[in-house]
Amino acid sequence: MNEEVYAVALKSALTEIKNICPDISKSFILMNNGTLITAEEQSIDPILKRAVSSLQDLTEAAASIGGLDDLLIDGENGKVYVSRVNDMYFATALPKKTDLTHLRTITGVILPTIIKVLDSISFEAAPPPTPLKPSPRFQPASLKSMPSMPPEPIAEEENVEETEEAVEEIEEPLTPDTQEIPEVKTEEEVEPEAPKQIINLPSQQLIVDRFGGFMVKSDIVQADSDVLQRWSSMLDVKEISEVDVETFSGKTARCKVKEISDQKLEGRGFIRIPEKLCDKLELKRGELVRVKPAILESE
Amino acid sequence: MPTKKKTPQIETPVQVDWAPEIEVKEQRVDLRAKLEMIKAREGVIGYILRAQTSASVDINDPSKIIDYAVLSASVLESVESLLDAFTLGKICNIVVAGSKLKVLLLTVGEHTVSVFMEKNVNHESICKELT
Repeated sequence: MNEEVYAVALKSALTEIKNICPDISKSFILMNNGTLITAEEQSIDPILKRAVSSLQDLTEAAASIGGLDDLLIDGENGKVYVSRVNDMYFATALPKKTDLTHLRTITGVILPTIIKVLDSISFEAAPPPTPLKPSPRFQPASLKSMPSMPPEPIAEEENVEETEEAVEEIEEPLTPDTQEIPEVKTEEEVEPEAPKQIINLPSQQLIVDRFGGFMVKSDIVQADSDVLQRWSSMLDVKEISEVDVETFSGKTARCKVKEISDQKLEGRGFIRIPEKLCDKLELKRGELVRVKPAILESE
Repeated sequence: MPTKKKTPQIETPVQVDWAPEIEVKEQRVDLRAKLEMIKAREGVIGYILRAQTSASVDINDPSKIIDYAVLSASVLESVESLLDAFTLGKICNIVVAGSKLKVLLLTVGEHTVSVFMEKNVNHESICKELT
């Protein structure tokens, strides 16, 4: 059985579920190969495509809690219920007061049964299970397919990231011997020694992520681009090039700052600090630090 | 261990008859105190409390903090786009369940709270306590 037939069967299932639960205003199934199936005939709008794409990202991030089994969103004007059925995701929009038990019973019986029947019919012809993200293999033209996602496996992404970091470092050549670890100061030392006056500065608490590598400069930290941009607009400066990192034990260090290079950590409220500097500041991964832009009065 | 800030003891404000009525503006402290109590419950693994410029993290296993923080942020992003797609307005609360754990996310004032717990913990009672 090909995927088109499989999709048609699931589409019929969606229609039937909607007939049984008239409360359902919208629903879709996200297949394991990334194909999106909706009960509606009209084309899928970009907002829904974006939502499905972020749902795919969420399924990856949920690995830390054992994968995404159920997601229940209580919104102002209704609920969204997403549940895993085998290796697919079934999402429905419901009114606020809908009884989920009824829906869970129906979806928990109907969909797995249909999938089981389809699987048993197509068992011999079926290709091996594919990852959730779309693979480059056959996608029938009549199916509404998901926005394309990067097909590289995680291992490759890591390599790319490492390479990017290496390239960054090569752009500004620096031998490990000449690297400077910013001077770490304890609370007592900071006040009398503060050589430059700092104007009214915003601060932000960020979660520490350590990073290291042969070519990593130990005096450059990485922070969210939106935080840096917010600070630069607040302080009316071109860019924030240095920040003060302060631990809760009172140690501080002034370091150069760049935007986070790891896209997975961008916009998540992290600061990436080189391992050497982390050791000096006695910081562990996951700890909180207070970060402030270091702007001189002359700027 | 993640950095823990000691929760200040909250003293109940005493209203005297000659002064204007006291307005309680200790929302963050109050929320943290509630979270500390929730954290002490059996099955609750920890929490992440975030505001525009501040954050508090208390997770039993510090090696998981980054993963949990990424998950919280991903959930919020994903949920916003799902609510947009289904035109269901703003987020009230979210429950994400995996095979090992579940997470309750909610917005209280300007704070976003993520409470991580085992699957058998009653998240509804936690939600009621925090809102």
